[in-house]
Amino acid sequence: MLKQMPTSLKMANRTFLFFWVFLAAFPFFWMFLISFRSPVDAFSFPPKLFAPVTLEHFYTVWIVDGFWRQALNTTVITLGTLTVSLTIGCLAGYGLSRYRGSMGFWILIIALVFRAMPHVVMLVAYKPAFWAMGIWNRYETLIIVLVAINQPFTIWMLRSFFVNIPEELDQAALVDGCNRVQTFVKVIMPVMWPGVITTGLFSFLLAYNDFLISSQLMSGDHMTMTAALSNYIFSDDSLAKLMHGVAGAVSITIPLIFLVLFFQKYIVSGLTHGAVKG
Amino acid sequence: MKKKTFFAFVGPSVLVMLSLIAVPLLGVFYLSLHTSHVKTEIVEVKSVVPLFGGLTKTTVQKVPQPVLDEKGQPVKVWEFVGGRNFDTVADPGGLAKALSKDRSQTADGQPARLGQKLHGLYRDVTDIDFWGALEFTLMYAFFTTPCILVIGFVLAIAVNSLVQWARGPIIFASLLPHIITPVVGSLSIYWLFLDNAVVAALLEQLGAGKIYFLKDAVTIRALIILYGIWHVTPFAFVILYAGLQTVPKDALQAAEVDGASRWQRIRYIVIPHLGALFSFITLIHLMDAYRIFEPVLVFGSNLFANSLQYLTYYILHFEDNYAKAGASAILTVIGIIILLSPFLYRTFRDQKGGH
Repeated sequence: MLKQMPTSLKMANRTFLFFWVFLAAFPFFWMFLISFRSPVDAFSFPPKLFAPVTLEHFYTVWIVDGFWRQALNTTVITLGTLTVSLTIGCLAGYGLSRYRGSMGFWILIIALVFRAMPHVVMLVAYKPAFWAMGIWNRYETLIIVLVAINQPFTIWMLRSFFVNIPEELDQAALVDGCNRVQTFVKVIMPVMWPGVITTGLFSFLLAYNDFLISSQLMSGDHMTMTAALSNYIFSDDSLAKLMHGVAGAVSITIPLIFLVLFFQKYIVSGLTHGAVKG
Repeated sequence: MKKKTFFAFVGPSVLVMLSLIAVPLLGVFYLSLHTSHVKTEIVEVKSVVPLFGGLTKTTVQKVPQPVLDEKGQPVKVWEFVGGRNFDTVADPGGLAKALSKDRSQTADGQPARLGQKLHGLYRDVTDIDFWGALEFTLMYAFFTTPCILVIGFVLAIAVNSLVQWARGPIIFASLLPHIITPVVGSLSIYWLFLDNAVVAALLEQLGAGKIYFLKDAVTIRALIILYGIWHVTPFAFVILYAGLQTVPKDALQAAEVDGASRWQRIRYIVIPHLGALFSFITLIHLMDAYRIFEPVLVFGSNLFANSLQYLTYYILHFEDNYAKAGASAILTVIGIIILLSPFLYRTFRDQKGGH
């Protein structure tokens, strides 16, 4: 066994970690706290830890401003992106993991370059093209665009999960008379669930967190929650409007906190997958 | 797997990427070389002008008018202009002027010191939007990268020395800045630093005076960089923490038996073992840092700090100039290819060597 740490180092260690956890969580904690306060209490001098609670900002944002509609849009778009992205991503990931030719290598390298592209570059082309084609401001358009932008990352990650499934499994199924599609659907996919959940989480996050593309391709009744936040961002002039922004931001955050709570293990394995397994 | 089967499997994915990433890239390239204007034609307009006493005079004027298509929309014409859009964005003339300007004397006629010369040069170059955006993008990348590597590594070591049950909650809290929507994360920090918000108020109470964080380019840039460190450190931490679990225990024990100190074990066993992970994190972070957008949108808004992706967004959204946005986008793409080229070259060489 390795020797125990000296007490002084242990203390330094704990202080550092305490400090980090505080820094990591405080901005969100404070945002939550002030979202339930009247503007005067939220920006009081000196700052207060306790103040009367009010739900009026949430009421205004969700009911009066119609945030529920944007929440619905976000649900449709994230679920749509998730489904399409995983379906075509699994097919491609499986193909890339089982094919030996150099073509697979080139697809992966080009995908890596695509992954590095700033999204605004494609947006410059999308704007005039979608306008001319008349597919502006539609769910399907945003979904397929998010799927495409997400694909390079998705196929890299799914491929690395498929590589971990031994090829003997394919061989056995093929010998038993399955064709490739049957092998894929009946033999490989049932043992792929951890990989699908992990990759799915990241596809979900990309679609849910996207601001740039969503705010530019959708408008009016079709806006997503994250894009709708921009209505409140540049409103320093009115404290009430700013408080609505805080309530909106808190509403966006809550589902993500549950996501991390329930899927922490998968998120960690997803973040580390590409790196540790090579 | 046969080639035909392979193509069937990767087909849909490749098709989506080609049609919505590769083709748009070509489209942007096309846009960047052209400029658009509304097609006009000269129309003769007759108008009757009253003179006096009921007399009128008919005049015929030639007036340019937009040509309308069958739907009544003005017809747009795209004209090839070569590199003119690139000239507008990158402004090589202005850059050359800034570089060649005589800075040997200050405004009041004193001989300038080297520091003053460099400062003047820096100011003139970064005054051009594109170079200013490039400057802050690179500054952000080079300040944040070492910080996230070091803090992430220290965190990983610290968490690794804790008892098992304490690790989960710390990892949970650490994931928040990385997972939660970047716009929301940026805003949550922005709201802390408003003039009358909690941080400024606490500092004032502690006697630091009134600090206006969001009124000054230096503090705004510092906040964006701090946001970047806060947002990406969890990523480095989680990867390095996972890597720590794979360090061979017997090597560490052998080193301890040989009398190696704690620091020596970290320096000579753990860090070399994690070497590949450090380069992986650096690569991924450089790609992400290069396209930093949300914090610049929230904090900088073009005035105090700019980034390449924000510059293109600004031209597209506020100036509504597709051709100029295209040129700016293509310059951004060239930058990312330069940034990735050492890595791509190495991968390419490994691939050739492996076959």
